[in-house]
Amino acid sequence: MIKIVKRDQPSRAIFFFTPVLAIFLTLVAGGLIFFILGFKPFEALKFFFIVPIADKYGFSELLLKATPLCLIAIGLSFCFKSNNWNIGAEGQLTFGAIVSGGVALLFYEQEGFYILPIVILAGAIGGMLYASIPAILKTYFNTNEILVSLMLVYVSKLILDYLVVGPWSNPEGFNFPETRQFSDSAKLPLLFEGLRIHAGIFLALAAVVISWFVFYKTYLGFQMKVSGFSLKTAKYAGYKGKKMIILVFLISGACAGLAGVGEITGPIGQLHREISPDYGFTAIIVAFLGRLHPVGIIFASLVVAITYLGAETAQIFMQIPKYTGQVFQGMILFFLLASDYLLFFKIKFIGLKK
Amino acid sequence: MNTNLKISNVTKIYPGCVANDNVSLEFNSGKIYALLGENGAGKSTLVKILSGVIIPDEGEIYLNKNNLKLNSPLDAKKNDIGMVFQHFNLFETLSVFENLIIDSDEQRESLREKIDLIMKKYNFSIDLDIPVLNLSAGQKQKVEIIRCLIRNPKVLIMDEPTSVLTEQETSELFLSLKKFSEEGILIIYITHKLKEVMQLCDEVAVMRRGKLVSVSEIKNENIESLANKMVGQNLKTIKKKKAKTSSDQLIKITNLNFTSEDPFETNLMDINFSVNRGECLGIAGISGNGQSELFQVLSGEIISEKNSIEFNNSYIGNLNPQERREYLMAFSPEDRLEQAAIPQMKIFENVALNNFKSSNFFNNGLINENKIKEHSKKIISDFNVNTDNIELKSQFLSGGNLQKLIIGRELITSPDLLICFNPTWGLDVGAINYIHETLIKINEQNKSIILISTDTDELLKLSDKISVIHKGKLSKIMNAEEVTSEKLGILMGGAN
Repeated sequence: MIKIVKRDQPSRAIFFFTPVLAIFLTLVAGGLIFFILGFKPFEALKFFFIVPIADKYGFSELLLKATPLCLIAIGLSFCFKSNNWNIGAEGQLTFGAIVSGGVALLFYEQEGFYILPIVILAGAIGGMLYASIPAILKTYFNTNEILVSLMLVYVSKLILDYLVVGPWSNPEGFNFPETRQFSDSAKLPLLFEGLRIHAGIFLALAAVVISWFVFYKTYLGFQMKVSGFSLKTAKYAGYKGKKMIILVFLISGACAGLAGVGEITGPIGQLHREISPDYGFTAIIVAFLGRLHPVGIIFASLVVAITYLGAETAQIFMQIPKYTGQVFQGMILFFLLASDYLLFFKIKFIGLKK
Repeated sequence: MNTNLKISNVTKIYPGCVANDNVSLEFNSGKIYALLGENGAGKSTLVKILSGVIIPDEGEIYLNKNNLKLNSPLDAKKNDIGMVFQHFNLFETLSVFENLIIDSDEQRESLREKIDLIMKKYNFSIDLDIPVLNLSAGQKQKVEIIRCLIRNPKVLIMDEPTSVLTEQETSELFLSLKKFSEEGILIIYITHKLKEVMQLCDEVAVMRRGKLVSVSEIKNENIESLANKMVGQNLKTIKKKKAKTSSDQLIKITNLNFTSEDPFETNLMDINFSVNRGECLGIAGISGNGQSELFQVLSGEIISEKNSIEFNNSYIGNLNPQERREYLMAFSPEDRLEQAAIPQMKIFENVALNNFKSSNFFNNGLINENKIKEHSKKIISDFNVNTDNIELKSQFLSGGNLQKLIIGRELITSPDLLICFNPTWGLDVGAINYIHETLIKINEQNKSIILISTDTDELLKLSDKISVIHKGKLSKIMNAEEVTSEKLGILMGGAN
């Protein structure tokens, strides 16, 4: 007989074990899906998870995809840790990209060391501005931040659409929906000749270090922790709830905005319609898979980044649609949530009673 | 047909608290029974056991001599036990009719006839086809009652049914309940409102701290005797020595009002009082009469008009708890596990919740962990918290030790005023004595206390002045020597 027993307290070991379990179960289920589709499961999984990162170029691509995921997830963890449910990072990324792209376009004929910092700053500010909308509506008008932040994603995408086909479209671009190429001074420098990995990775690493410091060493981090456990206690302690809500949204928005900057000034080099393959949404999975811990998020962003690459490889070599990548991302979240059940309950196997 | 419901030696233990301690009770149809007790006395646990929501650790339930095994609410329904909970369990956007048929497997048409019959019989008039969200609280409750009646229950349990009803709706409810009782349904009525018990019920069972205290007929009781049984007055008390209270006023509350948007909260009306240095003002009352709201207004969790609270010659009504701490106030809320402390955090982290500027827990926005730890060690030794590991998560402290830690955390900054709410609730005798001694000591050091408590013993033991809160209004403030428990009982019941 199997009996399910409530744990007296959540287990620390299980806390770190369940993400690993979730990834394992995702692989098993993924193999099963490949099998049903008529592929050899092990071969397909190899194409999905090993082939893409087997060479230097692949590894660079992995870091390239992990960078925005990590950056956004770090920002989101500020919100999630303090009980604020910002799920509109995709919108904040897009708006950050719009603002920084706009600034970069102003300088399209110019060169100068000062351009890139301005462009980066503009992206962070754009993300912050956009994140401040759900934050202000939540604090002053009691709206639900989940709905507002989500709906604003679509608004930002429509704004981007309008700009790239309309006022900002490249005059010499044969009516393609894209802007001019940014000048080299507005682009993040590449780290290695011939590889696409760029200096944006340092922004992500800086975010990891800073967030670790804030979470564990500062008064703000302490207040976030308390608010995450109990809003009643935070109120009793006298924390300024509204100020904190706005602050965590701003931080989160800045990170998403920076991720947007990294995309358009890194591999893309201009604004067009599809600047992000839903990094902002996938980063929610990354944040939870990494247990909202800065180091955990690094690992989680690498794991999830593989699903993007694997999907492309699988499409090329096995003619599997690249949307399989999203299936894998969905499965990771699904299994993570399911195995979190083990945090609070344990399964006991007991002999049949006579 | 006669219905006989028997609860036999029921015990339910939660970690750190005995919710029901060997409770045995017998009910017979034709009468309305009151189950009376304060919040946390164990009455809700008992009725949840009867309705299959909670499974008892020990004990049996018999309905007409049949031993019932109630493992789920469905089992209770199958055995003709109906329950109307305090908070309604209705789907707001579905129609009344849809809500009524949702857990039934009978035909829609025959049910509709049945419902119409029930409504006619008891004079209920509710449109079955409008969404539930358009109904008043009283009407929603009727929907819940009809949902029980459809199943022809033998037993109907009502949990605090009048907390959201108007006077008019309450008297309508009482008429219906009397009718049900005449028809042979056994009614168990859970409440802490004494007047209603006197008005409605035939027999009353009183619970306190998980134990059944008494079972008696209403005609042998009055409001005061029931109030005393609820709060446990009949123990001998030692009063503290009359402190040499000064006439130096510390805090003055003037015309303070609070209106809540939540129908389950109590509005505060026209609160006025003052406390001098070295004094303890006790605020008595049956729980749910506005104590929690009063505590929050005093602590700054609910902000009021600036001039309504004058503390040490400054107006502070508009300040939040942390800002009030800087004026040397300290607060110990009722709920240790969900408000005053966070069980999942370590002891020293919980100490840092009382962030007092001069204790330097946080410098320039950074956590000063050494300072917090040093401070925590001092609290642990000064206030006898039974551990020497400040890295321990506070969930591993017993209730008494956790409360000592909280009181210690609040007192170590030497505040001029401590406001505490049920500081000894749920603690064992040793811890209660320790906390009482500590509170008396504060008064001796010429510091003041506002003690909001539902424990009359405690109030008579510690207070210099006493007032009673009833439905959000304070009685006049009396000197503790002039007060008897009978007098408090009358005031707690709402009489003048």
